[in-house]
Amino acid sequence: MTGLLESLIRGLGNGSVYALLALGFVIIYKATRVISFAQPALMLAGAVAVSYLAEVTGFYAAVLLAALLIAGVALAIERIAIRPMVGRPVFVVSIITLGIDVVVRVVVNGFIGRDVRQVGDPWGFAQVSLGPLVVQQRWLAMLLVTAVLVTLLFAFFRYTRYGLAMRAAAFDQETALAQGVSVGMVFALSWGLAGFLAAIAGMFVGTGQGIEQLTWVIALKALPAIIVGGLDSLGGAVVGGLAIGVVESLFQSYQGEFAPWLGQNFAVVTPYVVMLVVLLVRPYGLFGTREVERV
Amino acid sequence: MKSRYVVITAAVVTLLSACGVIRGDDEGSKGAQTTGVTSEPCPSAVDSKKGCIYLGSISDLTAGPFAALAVPITEAQKAFWARVNKAGGIGGKYEVDVTKFVRDNKYNPEVHRQVYNEMKDQVLGLAQTLGSPTTAAIIGDLKANSVVSAPASWTSAWEFEDVIIETGANYCVEAMNSVDYAMETYKPKSVMAVHLAGDYGADAAAGAKIAAEKNGLDFTAVETPSGATEQGRAITEITKNKPDLVILTTGPADAATIVGQAAAAGYKGRFIGTGPTWNPALLKSPAAPALKALYEQSAPGKSWAADTPGHQAMRDSLPGVTPNDGYTSGWAWAYPLKAALDAMVASGDVSRKGLLAAVKSLKTVDYEGMLPPEAGNFADDPNTATFRQTLINKVDDQVPTGVSMAKDFFVGPTAKDYTFDGPCFAKL
Repeated sequence: MTGLLESLIRGLGNGSVYALLALGFVIIYKATRVISFAQPALMLAGAVAVSYLAEVTGFYAAVLLAALLIAGVALAIERIAIRPMVGRPVFVVSIITLGIDVVVRVVVNGFIGRDVRQVGDPWGFAQVSLGPLVVQQRWLAMLLVTAVLVTLLFAFFRYTRYGLAMRAAAFDQETALAQGVSVGMVFALSWGLAGFLAAIAGMFVGTGQGIEQLTWVIALKALPAIIVGGLDSLGGAVVGGLAIGVVESLFQSYQGEFAPWLGQNFAVVTPYVVMLVVLLVRPYGLFGTREVERV
Repeated sequence: MKSRYVVITAAVVTLLSACGVIRGDDEGSKGAQTTGVTSEPCPSAVDSKKGCIYLGSISDLTAGPFAALAVPITEAQKAFWARVNKAGGIGGKYEVDVTKFVRDNKYNPEVHRQVYNEMKDQVLGLAQTLGSPTTAAIIGDLKANSVVSAPASWTSAWEFEDVIIETGANYCVEAMNSVDYAMETYKPKSVMAVHLAGDYGADAAAGAKIAAEKNGLDFTAVETPSGATEQGRAITEITKNKPDLVILTTGPADAATIVGQAAAAGYKGRFIGTGPTWNPALLKSPAAPALKALYEQSAPGKSWAADTPGHQAMRDSLPGVTPNDGYTSGWAWAYPLKAALDAMVASGDVSRKGLLAAVKSLKTVDYEGMLPPEAGNFADDPNTATFRQTLINKVDDQVPTGVSMAKDFFVGPTAKDYTFDGPCFAKL
């Protein structure tokens, strides 16, 4: 039983990272109807920024500075590469974000170098006892920070003018524009928020094991998370991310024992299997909006 | 009417050109004597009276998992051949160029094959073909065209390929010796091989299995994907089953995650990782205390700081670099190719077939002390020629590469008695 609970906490910890990344995807999608494939690069850039800044400012200040820096980078990307494409098919803009991802990663790889870089986190592989459970501190940190960020984010959307503007623009851009909402500002804000969250996620990915040039691949697990939760649901992104993390962790721990016939590394593909199952049952995700088209 | 003639002439010229009937001299074919050998000097020749032997290098230079080793390997080989050229070249007649045809494979077999195809008609052989799965993608062509190649990998499959001139013991032998070393030192009762898929990981896992059977130990094999964040299952298997010994065959970041997290979860057994599981940067990772306490590295050759003429020559030829055993491996891999080129020129048959014949004549190679001369036996059958000595290194933060020798070249009883009748990984 303790093994199961420890496995669940590991899954929730890793799932928190997927949730932060998935939130970035969903925020941009809701504002612009574009799936931004630049999130992996922004995540990697955030982790690298933390690894450099931590040597100068200490870890916690580095995390905040790096998140702001990457939010700034995301704002710049939006202004330079995305804003001029407003009105073009969203498919084209998504392809542009793929290109941006490659460009940013090439630049960031130069800063990573060939060795593994450490982000200078205070947790490492240190563990903590919670009654009979022994879990890694970093998983608890991931879970806690994600909970705080998600709460703040939801409060921002619910209670602030900018949050209201973003919700209005997501609901109906033209009407929002007619009511004086600056849709351009909404686009920029969505990219800035996504960059901020990606940087925090990147920092967590780097805890303990460090970052290398191939670390960006982890961000792809946020894609099943957003499909599971629903492309346009912030709550769905959080639930989807956590669900993917938990399923993956449980398969890592128990699949060899209970379903060895699935092969040795089935856990690697579980996020995508969950996604396929959800797509078959609920094509718009668990919390996504069902689209109705008149034909 | 005139325009019709112009069109017809243009079409004929284009057709002939496409068929290769009309072609300009490209750079590689100036004064060509045979494929990859010119009577013209090398681009950066020491002596412009000598001809040039072009060797290609296909390595993991940017984005792949072994880039941290591959770049030093490539740099060391450039320095090795520059030293050879300065010392008079090959047989006093040729110099060797390993700088013109250097390509990145991104550790992707498809890319490897593509860049090989681009260079294959312009090089005599390959000074480096990095990776087991990548080299497997071109092995058919290497054999068909007698392209002698120095691998940058240690799979046992190379013992059975005439065109591949490997240096040092293969992963299979390395793992056998590691288990035998552990039997002597730690007296384990169970062994787990945690390994990547394919003929890197599976080769070592097969060696560990053979040694475990020979020593009457319980054996389990856990295949794990590449990527530090994907090691959850491997860590669970280790902490759940608590084997006394774990033989690791992964990348360095994976190894650090496995050792660090298993130790944090209370695992107290021993880890021995194959050569590529180590990188000095791991000493800065949170796994460093666990690595110092529980991990040793098996290796096919001595580390950077070793006191041999070969190591000294390497250090002298690479001033100012951050020490890394990628340099050591790259440098050592070049010796058999140099011996074969010397023998080829001495025989008078300067060609791919001549080079292959020269390789098959080598019973020993002078590694300037980096490896015993019998490591360069390419003349005998695979079972006789397979080199079976490896070393064990321990983590040592006082030396630049982070590891120092714990046990000098040795052959364990398993490797000594084992008959190589095919690649080990097929037997896992």
